[in-house]
Amino acid sequence: MDSIGLDNIYFEKVTVNFDDRFTLSEIDWTIEPNQHWVITGTNGAGKSALAAVLAGVGEIENGTVIGLPKNVGLVSFEAQAELIAKELKKDDADIMDVISLGTPVHEMIFDYCQDTALAQALVEKFGLSTLLDRAFRKLSTGETRKVMLIRALANRPDLLILDEPFDGLDVDTLAMLQDHLASIIDSTPMIMVLNRFDEMPAFITHIAYVDKGKLTLTVDKSDENAFNELYQLLHLKTTDLNVPQADPANKLPALDPSQPLVRLNQATIKYGDTIIVDKLDWTIERGQHWQLSGPNGSGKTGVLSLITGDHPQCYVNDIFVFGFQRGKGESIWQIKQFIGYVSTSLQWEYRVSTSCKNVIISGFYDSIGMYSKSTDNQKKIADQWLTLLGMEDRADQPFNKLSYGDQRLLLIARAMVKHPPLLILDEPCLGLDDMNRQLVLALIEKICEDKETTVLYVNHHAEDQIKGIENYLGLKKNN
Amino acid sequence: MANYFNTLPLREQLAELAKCRFMNSSEFADGVEALKGKKMVVIGCGAQGLNQGLNLRDSGLDVSYALRPEAIAQKRQSWKNATENGFVVGTYEELIPTADVVLNLTPDKQHTPVVTAVMPLMKEGACLSYSHGFNIVEEGMKIREDLTVIMVAPKCPGSEVRAEYVRGFGVPTLIAVHEDNDPKGEGLALAKAYAVGTGGHKAGVLMSSFIAEVKSDLMGEQTILCGMLQTGSILCFDKMVEEGIDPGYASRLIQYGWETITEALKYGGVTNMLDRLSNPAKIKAFDLSEELKVIMRPLYNKHQDDIISGHFSKTMMEDWANDDVNLLKWRAETAETNFEKTPAGDVKISEQEFFDNGILMVAMVKAGVELAFETMTAAGIIAESAYYESLHETPLIANTIARKKLYEMNATISDTAEYGCYLYNHACVPLLADFMKGIKTDVIGKGLSVEDNGVDNKRLIEVNTALRSHPVEAVGAVLRGHMADMKKIV
Repeated sequence: MDSIGLDNIYFEKVTVNFDDRFTLSEIDWTIEPNQHWVITGTNGAGKSALAAVLAGVGEIENGTVIGLPKNVGLVSFEAQAELIAKELKKDDADIMDVISLGTPVHEMIFDYCQDTALAQALVEKFGLSTLLDRAFRKLSTGETRKVMLIRALANRPDLLILDEPFDGLDVDTLAMLQDHLASIIDSTPMIMVLNRFDEMPAFITHIAYVDKGKLTLTVDKSDENAFNELYQLLHLKTTDLNVPQADPANKLPALDPSQPLVRLNQATIKYGDTIIVDKLDWTIERGQHWQLSGPNGSGKTGVLSLITGDHPQCYVNDIFVFGFQRGKGESIWQIKQFIGYVSTSLQWEYRVSTSCKNVIISGFYDSIGMYSKSTDNQKKIADQWLTLLGMEDRADQPFNKLSYGDQRLLLIARAMVKHPPLLILDEPCLGLDDMNRQLVLALIEKICEDKETTVLYVNHHAEDQIKGIENYLGLKKNN
Repeated sequence: MANYFNTLPLREQLAELAKCRFMNSSEFADGVEALKGKKMVVIGCGAQGLNQGLNLRDSGLDVSYALRPEAIAQKRQSWKNATENGFVVGTYEELIPTADVVLNLTPDKQHTPVVTAVMPLMKEGACLSYSHGFNIVEEGMKIREDLTVIMVAPKCPGSEVRAEYVRGFGVPTLIAVHEDNDPKGEGLALAKAYAVGTGGHKAGVLMSSFIAEVKSDLMGEQTILCGMLQTGSILCFDKMVEEGIDPGYASRLIQYGWETITEALKYGGVTNMLDRLSNPAKIKAFDLSEELKVIMRPLYNKHQDDIISGHFSKTMMEDWANDDVNLLKWRAETAETNFEKTPAGDVKISEQEFFDNGILMVAMVKAGVELAFETMTAAGIIAESAYYESLHETPLIANTIARKKLYEMNATISDTAEYGCYLYNHACVPLLADFMKGIKTDVIGKGLSVEDNGVDNKRLIEVNTALRSHPVEAVGAVLRGHMADMKKIV
């Protein structure tokens, strides 16, 4: 069957260089138009790189690639980061004394897409209709991801590349997207990068396994034995986890044990007439681990940033954190010293060039990048974390050259390094492969056992339940 | 009002111009203590006003915003900026009388009306802060004797002031105390606490004077920062098109070229920018820049002389009073230039190609930076000030051209800078007419077509020595070193 009317894509002994920071080598691969592939492998193996080559990224140094279609749709964290960085740069460059408002969502979508009617339909399906006038860079991570997906789909590409398309989407949107993808399989060949086998759509026909920059295995999904072997390969078990100790020199001011860590009283976030969070009461007692959930745009990140002090409206709310009633002359650094924090937006913002080891050490200083001299003990602790993550060989490599998943692991270590009284993990497993996801979940469980740290965990994936978390808060979408 | 600088005796003029000292971080040990519990009221909620306010509040200080009644009634953008960020907003009458410190963060042109309106409302012994000294120095605004007058000027766009603070760092900041208005001798303590509150002390603070700030800021923005880039854009584009280069390519090479080559300047000064070229291209760029410096030096001198004498601000204020007739006319003319009207073509230019095919642009940046620096220091401005107002800020301006060409640059800089930029451009384009006749595509558009990259050893050594021994490189290495010290990867 060749209903799509495209040619095969051939890779012959292809070596691709990505700005000298990563190389794919000796790739031999044939993709037929009626096939749908999943590319898998561990973090940093080159999955995203291989997918990106199909979209024309990277410099082909050797070998030949034949048959790449022109109209390729690409959705990936890298492409998303690039788009966001581009929008932020518009702002960075602003030396005019005017606040740049950024490009509105409707412009991002309709100025780009060929099929306006389809784009319109997708905007409604994805529930973005009310956000069309909002600035792209004001959107939440999940919402920008949806914009990327609409752009790719409504261009009716001849080849659709989806690098972790399901991460960061809420349950309803995920089901809708999977249905939509299933409806276009006859017209659009797809290549997906997936870290989680359980998310693999039924229509996938082939799996490519990438390891250390090489395509080492291709499996036809109908071959059950080969498929099970591959699954085992990815499913490593973690044993004997030891969380490195905190730094005894890094003493925090004592907290009054009779007071809660956090108390939000009728907390509200609104922009103009749009209410994002409506009169939320929430108290987090010490040692009381919480899980926070809710669909994209329900204000999860907003609530967290009221606690961390990153949201400017924390000053007009009744918020009590770590012994401080907010807005009474405390500085933001007095608050942040009690918090360890991981989120996708932190990862976007971590744009300074520094080494992996320094990223971990910066957790002692609550800074992005390092601006003070670190102590020998801090370096020792950072080394222990690198070993735990299996990244000791990358200690001195620049952080911004690592893969998305590796960066995420380091930021988790950065958040945990000082054993903070409150550890906020906003979708920590986003972008991690099965093995590392289990490692991180095991780490979180270990930290939950430790009475010093209270964990506040945000996630979409119902299956990522953590032992020790017994309190749940669900947010609803307001608009 | 009379030009304040011109009322001073020469001895004091020279002393004020020469003020500029890189402060030691131990001088900020008191943190924000001097401002703790005091009421800070910001006037103006643009990028500087909003972002400085956010930082100060996050440092534990009490910040609110005074806006004009119509901005509040009509819920203008400034009102939205302040209220959405959870600040108290009120009219001048409501907030100014309660203020211990009033932060005037409005554009230059509004300073006289704003300060005139605010001053009678300020309480006895309060402090008035500026981020630019034009109003005091050039317009000669007299501030009530009981008030303390300081300046705190972060040397980066407002958005960056915020972004660096959030990271746990800051941006280089200039502070000054207006000696005539320091009745209680607390000006320096307040300015230091303010710099700490915005995070500036982590990136380095320069202690300067109102006069040195104004005279160097005006000079830098008119000549190398905006004027040279505008003139260079127009001349290089027209030359390439005349020589048959595809206009789309030419437009892209210039629009994004300034940003790319000055990025190299930001990291390693003029030396590093020229080191990005091959040896023959470097020597070519050096020779061109020497030629340019001889031709343009009288123009740089004239700009500096007119700034020092007050002639520049006088003519500009006359244009303000005349409904900006000249400014608006020049702005319209700029929109009509061929460079401005030709969109960047859909071609890929690699980072290195911007250097290789933009030798003349590199030469123009080098000539402009060095001339501005030399002229400023010859006029008595100290090297540190001259460095910040020439080399340091060039990449920031180049960035705006990459966004939307000259229109964007002129829309984003202050009206004062824009006015000076046009003045420079009008004089510089005809001045370089003969020079441009000798220019071919080897230095702009196509790159050198040499058989091999061989050069004469002796000549290369001469060029390298000249580059590395220019005084802007010496002070630049020290100031960039201060930044790097703090950011050092340990």
